[in-house]
Amino acid sequence: MLFLIAKNDWRNIRADRTLWAIALLLTTTILYGVHNGASWVDFQKRTIQGALADEAERHAAIKQGIEDANAGRTSPPSWKDPRSPYAVGYRLGSRFATMPPAPLAALAVGQSDLLPYYFRVTVNSRDTMLGNDELENPVHLLSGRFDLAFVIIYLFPLVILAVSYNLISGDKEDGTLALTLSTPVSLPSLAMGKIAFRAAFVLTLGAVLSVAGALLSGIDLSAPGAAPRLLLWMGAVAAYSIFWFGLAVLINAMGRNSATNALALSGLWLVFVLLIPSLLNVGIKTAHPVPSRVEMIQAMRHASDAVTAERSRLMAEFLEDHPELAPAASADTNAQFAVRSVAMTEELERRIQPVLDEFDKRISRQQQLADQYRFLSPAILTQAALYDLAGTGVHRYKHFLNLAANYHQQWQAHIQPKMMQTVKLSTASIDELPRWHWQEEDTADVLGRAGTHTAALALTAAFVIAIGVLALRRFPVVG
Amino acid sequence: MLEALSLTKAYNGHTALNNLNLTVAAGEVFCLLGANGAGKTTTINLFLNFIPPTSGTAKVNGIDVASHPLESKRYLAYIPEQVMLYRNLTGIENLSYFTELAGCEKYSQAKLLDFLTAAGLQAEAADKRVGSYSKGMRQKVGIAIATARNAKALLLDEPTSGLDPKASNEFSELLKRLSGNGAAILMATHDLFRAKETGTRVGIMKHGNMVAHMKTEELGHADLERIYLEHMHD
Amino acid sequence: MIRTVARKEMLEIIRDGRFRWSAAITLLLLCGALAMGWQHYRDVASQHEAARRDTRQQWLKQGEKNPHSAAHYGVYAFKPRMPLSLVDPGVDPYVGVAAWLEAHKQNEFKFKPAQDATALQRLGELTGATVLQLLLPLVIILLTFSAFASERELGTLRQLMSLGVSRSDLAWGKALGISGALAMLLLPATVIGVAGLALTAENGALAGSTPRLLLLFAGYLAYFAVFLGISLAVSAKASSARVALITLLGFWIFNGLLAPKAVTDLARSIHPTPSTLQFARDIEHDIENGMDGHNPADSRAEALKQELLRKYNVDSVNKLPIDFNGVRMQAGEEYGNQVFDRHYGALWATYDRQRRIHDLASILAPSLAIRSLSMGLAGTDFPQHAHFSQAAEQYRRLINREMNMDLAHHAKGKPVYMAKESLWQKIPDFHYEAPGLGWVVRNHTLSLVLLTVWCLAAALAASWMSRRMEVI
Repeated sequence: MLFLIAKNDWRNIRADRTLWAIALLLTTTILYGVHNGASWVDFQKRTIQGALADEAERHAAIKQGIEDANAGRTSPPSWKDPRSPYAVGYRLGSRFATMPPAPLAALAVGQSDLLPYYFRVTVNSRDTMLGNDELENPVHLLSGRFDLAFVIIYLFPLVILAVSYNLISGDKEDGTLALTLSTPVSLPSLAMGKIAFRAAFVLTLGAVLSVAGALLSGIDLSAPGAAPRLLLWMGAVAAYSIFWFGLAVLINAMGRNSATNALALSGLWLVFVLLIPSLLNVGIKTAHPVPSRVEMIQAMRHASDAVTAERSRLMAEFLEDHPELAPAASADTNAQFAVRSVAMTEELERRIQPVLDEFDKRISRQQQLADQYRFLSPAILTQAALYDLAGTGVHRYKHFLNLAANYHQQWQAHIQPKMMQTVKLSTASIDELPRWHWQEEDTADVLGRAGTHTAALALTAAFVIAIGVLALRRFPVVG
Repeated sequence: MLEALSLTKAYNGHTALNNLNLTVAAGEVFCLLGANGAGKTTTINLFLNFIPPTSGTAKVNGIDVASHPLESKRYLAYIPEQVMLYRNLTGIENLSYFTELAGCEKYSQAKLLDFLTAAGLQAEAADKRVGSYSKGMRQKVGIAIATARNAKALLLDEPTSGLDPKASNEFSELLKRLSGNGAAILMATHDLFRAKETGTRVGIMKHGNMVAHMKTEELGHADLERIYLEHMHD
Repeated sequence: MIRTVARKEMLEIIRDGRFRWSAAITLLLLCGALAMGWQHYRDVASQHEAARRDTRQQWLKQGEKNPHSAAHYGVYAFKPRMPLSLVDPGVDPYVGVAAWLEAHKQNEFKFKPAQDATALQRLGELTGATVLQLLLPLVIILLTFSAFASERELGTLRQLMSLGVSRSDLAWGKALGISGALAMLLLPATVIGVAGLALTAENGALAGSTPRLLLLFAGYLAYFAVFLGISLAVSAKASSARVALITLLGFWIFNGLLAPKAVTDLARSIHPTPSTLQFARDIEHDIENGMDGHNPADSRAEALKQELLRKYNVDSVNKLPIDFNGVRMQAGEEYGNQVFDRHYGALWATYDRQRRIHDLASILAPSLAIRSLSMGLAGTDFPQHAHFSQAAEQYRRLINREMNMDLAHHAKGKPVYMAKESLWQKIPDFHYEAPGLGWVVRNHTLSLVLLTVWCLAAALAASWMSRRMEVI
């Protein structure tokens, strides 16, 4: 029965130009979106490769420099002596902490244009890693990218509404509804049959194009976690689409004419996709305002001034705590300098940590609130699911920040003792410098988070469909 | 076959149909006459369960349409004033869709064409899109749907209004054939002449009440018109 | 005649529940957005003012120091907030709030406010500009799509024509009536906006911003006129009200949602932005090896030494009457400045070419023209950010020059040279003068012209379509 209705709907609609226009629109936007995502991923990969090449080049130069200096061919000043742990740890030997794009990154640019994906790690205090973002025209950040996630979140609903705003009202206006309902077919099954065809059309087109585009743009489905992520992605998109179909059924069930339905549905689209997210954004910012970065800068500067003013005392205290690090000869100014700088860095980090923590706390609170009220709009749920699956959302970034912070500590712990003991680095010790290891987020975690969002979406969709079907029972077939 | 028991429909205090009791047996053609708003279309809509009754029941083949809407429709066919079909489909495609939807056996193309030609549609029109059909042609497709479905009861809502006399005549002939095959037909119409010609019984409705009810074989043409006009006078 | 039509149209709109609801919601959102913009402007402006004074005090009270250490200590430049940013915050959330002005390096502005927000920010931000650029056109479409189409469906158009009403009078009347209804929505919002500006007027914000505000107002009116004209034209041409509505909604989505993002990726692919990594490497490379690749830093220093020895006619650095380190560092700064000018110049030129593509694309989508113009007039576009960062950079160079020159003139022969507050005082307080209206308008000529063209084209389309409109 459903199949019959769907088949008839297809024969009926296929003669209409709208369908082909929509197919063309979907094809161009999806392919353009995937292409844009893929070229961004490509750019990130090349940049990361560039960082590794830069690192390799510098390390080769350091080794060469060590050999030259040891052989007496050169005598570099201390601040750029490749044998000095100080020079290597701060500048010459610094390594990059990088976050490679996740397997599905090409499908959603997400927040990855705004948040950095590589840091240069030095012995300097942790705060110096902050704010080193990728260059980008701010107008582009403001507009956001045209990626597949955008097509899905914004355009998919519109396409769905365009093909289903007159699902029942159109038949009623054409007069075929009465004839159809004089046969033993119920209105809900008629509506479902029509939805089935349209959903099959939109979703198949969307799924085939997305996967084809993704594969063409070089997504590797054999990468760990890629296949289940892609499956869940499809699930989220399907649930989101079904929500909009359900909404179309619900509005049609009210029994108004097609023009009113079109108005009502575009109004709902505006509410769910634009208004609720921006009002929620405002609400969250008002409830948990992030403290001013300007004030943070000043606080950090005051802390740094204070630390500088107290450097002698700090150094004395530091040496009391770490007598083993006391310079062998008190006349060794390099060692004195190194100990003082380590002591100051340590103290500075200790003092600004509360300021940074306050930011993290407020931002996490905002995030919590956003998570809590995400169900208000399926667009928000979908955004969260898609960004998570593509690994371009805030969760993977936080994961990266934690890894980078650990690596930074590891780097300090490795270099600082050498600095203070004024060890002369050998070529072998350059190879011993801690290496960055990117560890991918646990796939189960990602799937768990995105799965929750998808489940919530599916629940909302089911709810809307159920209400729609119930409302259809009271549909005025005549009058 | 068609049975109305104390059937009543009120909208916000206005009674559109008041306590209608009516039985149309197989092979009968019952014509409902009356002015606009007398309750004819309401009666048909109630039999189709397009609107719920305020009280009373409408039965098709003994089945209450309000409690078993889908079963009751197995036996029903409906031809509205304007048979509206899917404009982008051909006559045959429309016929095939509606018969399959009704749960009939799947007819062959030749059989479908037979139904259409039997309903008076020219064979070459059957493969054209319905968008190009005249009203008469669409009514014929409506009849073809009813015959193909082998409906036991037909509900017709002013099916001949706006048809030219020849098309109207052909339509009457088709109806006679259907009732001859044992269908019960309930038809709302303004056309006294057609009612006398095709109907076996007529009922005159006014303000939701069935005010007169007679057999056509006992009437002359002039009698029917006179009785009708008498009732229309207040 | 026109007045009669306009009066009837306005009456009809005002009595329409759909208008009342959508107008009330839009008005509420607009006023809310302006109020929040105002609040935000005030908070940020006072924070920046406090920080600016603080960073000055830190500079002055940094104690006795070697001037080069002082240059390394540096000051912070905090990006000021423009009064009209309460209407359109533009790129402000997407550029850093502060740059460190230190020795040897031109730093990027750090800490973009958008980084401290959730991903919701990317779905949409409620600002005066969003309401004016996105929602108001939607209200206009809502008011206008049925103007002719539904009169034709109802048959009232036939009746009107039989009375001898001219089509252009009818079109003008409708346009006026709808504008009247819109004015009822815009007037309160304007009053609130101007009042907000006046309340922040402690630094003459209102007086200073008036020309910008007037032009901004005119720009938005022109943008609304574009939508009004197009909606009337479509309504006259469309076969039914439903078709008119769907066509107009399609245009709205293209204009407000598709175009800005699609152009972003287009501009990026035509004029790619380099990565920070590449950018920093290129600068480092040019400073180290010379911009032509054959003039490394060491040989530049050596050449400078030889030149000075020749100039003062001595045979060793020690015999120079000035401190060589100061001169060498200043020469290094100046070479660095050339490198920075070259690379930042190239980067900003890339951004500018990207902006040109956005502006040109407003041939297809008027929202791009008004967006660009609105940011420009509100003082929140990229060129004005670049203008500020250039001013900050000049200030950085001034500090470095003064410090190095002080070294050159006073450090000679002193193993430990310390300067005092008197030297820090020599550096004037950083004072930034925002560019004038003329500068802004020159930057946005293209979008201004294209918006005007759109406006004229829409008016022409409306009058042409209404003259050729079918009555039945």
